[in-house]
Amino acid sequence: MLITIDVHSGVPAYRQLLDQIRLQVAAGRLRPGDEIPSTRALSAELGLNPMTISRAYALLEEEGLLERRPGLPLVVRARSGATSATARGAQFTRALGPVASMARQLGIGGKEAGDALRRLIDGNER
Amino acid sequence: MGEMIFEASGLTKEFGEVTALRDVSLSLRGPSIIGLIGRNASGKTTLLRHIVGLQLPTRGQARTLGVATRSLQHEQLARIGVVPDAPTFMRWMSVGEQLRYLSAFYPRWDMERQSSLAGLLELDLHADVSGLSTGSAQKLAIVAALCPRPDLILLDEPVSNLDPIARDQFLKLLLEIVQEDRATIVISSHVLHDIESTVDWIVCLNNGTVAADAALDDLKDQYAEWRVLARTRDLPDRFADAFVVRQTVMEPRRARLVVRTAGADLRAFQAAHDADVEAAPLNLQGLFPILVDNGRH
Repeated sequence: MLITIDVHSGVPAYRQLLDQIRLQVAAGRLRPGDEIPSTRALSAELGLNPMTISRAYALLEEEGLLERRPGLPLVVRARSGATSATARGAQFTRALGPVASMARQLGIGGKEAGDALRRLIDGNER
Repeated sequence: MGEMIFEASGLTKEFGEVTALRDVSLSLRGPSIIGLIGRNASGKTTLLRHIVGLQLPTRGQARTLGVATRSLQHEQLARIGVVPDAPTFMRWMSVGEQLRYLSAFYPRWDMERQSSLAGLLELDLHADVSGLSTGSAQKLAIVAALCPRPDLILLDEPVSNLDPIARDQFLKLLLEIVQEDRATIVISSHVLHDIESTVDWIVCLNNGTVAADAALDDLKDQYAEWRVLARTRDLPDRFADAFVVRQTVMEPRRARLVVRTAGADLRAFQAAHDADVEAAPLNLQGLFPILVDNGRH
């Protein structure tokens, strides 16, 4: 699991962790049964406060994304196809928020924005 | 909720005419790394001294590790490690002798930690205490405070005299110690940038009063910066919205606001002022003036 936290960005660190782990699960880079680094290991790797990491892990556990088993590492929990499709959609919509506000500011309409996005996804434009 | 480490209620400290702490009420729980921040003369050092009972309240209560601070005994004091802002040592000893002398007072003194800390901070055990630079004296104070494996560690501006590499190693060390010993660490600092990844809780003092006492991440969730650009007409000189806590109108059509995110409706605001708003989060440095302002009301 590769995580990058920018503690000076102003986005709460626990939120950055939540978003990145959710994204990796939604993208299939973390699969059901995969182990998540311990609080201690991630704290040492990122130089990040361990209470902040525990907080993110506890929230992901509550969400049903991670599973805690006594004495064993946290693992990614198996999810139904429907749930993970919804999660992917929600993730993508969240990421598009800033793009939508830029489109509004530039006066770019839905169709024009959609076309630009389609070209980028299809790889016809860089 | 963890163990109650320090509890103050209505704590006021007066030095003659000067009120250093004013009606301070706080409950610090551990394990945690608490950033004690505030401007100069805001009461940070006075509060740290009250936690160990070096100073006693003029009025109000202070309890540390469950005991009123005026009655702290060796049993509690042995569980507290302090790095003062200006550490003093026995000048005729070497660094190693000084540590050996101190270790006799602490049953839990950890020799293994002593050698790993001295190595990590590049502290020469054979050097004479009298010849230490300010930075090395601070390193000695850090080693002396951490080797007894205290449950409560008070650090008064510990990073100010450390070079960037020693500073980074020291802050990482605190992350390990809080997990290994389930300790609670209170660290006062002006270098907000350095402590931002280390602390999980913020206590901000202003003029001796508590201006903020909250999880760092919650504070970041509570405030945001809005950069406002009017589309068609000039912005008002002052925004009357209750959620606007700070405002700078730069030009008739451009303004920079800090808002309280609870109750701030971005869409309604955009419609009301016919303006585009770009919302951005605030880091600890950006939050600091807002927190200090809170203490004024």
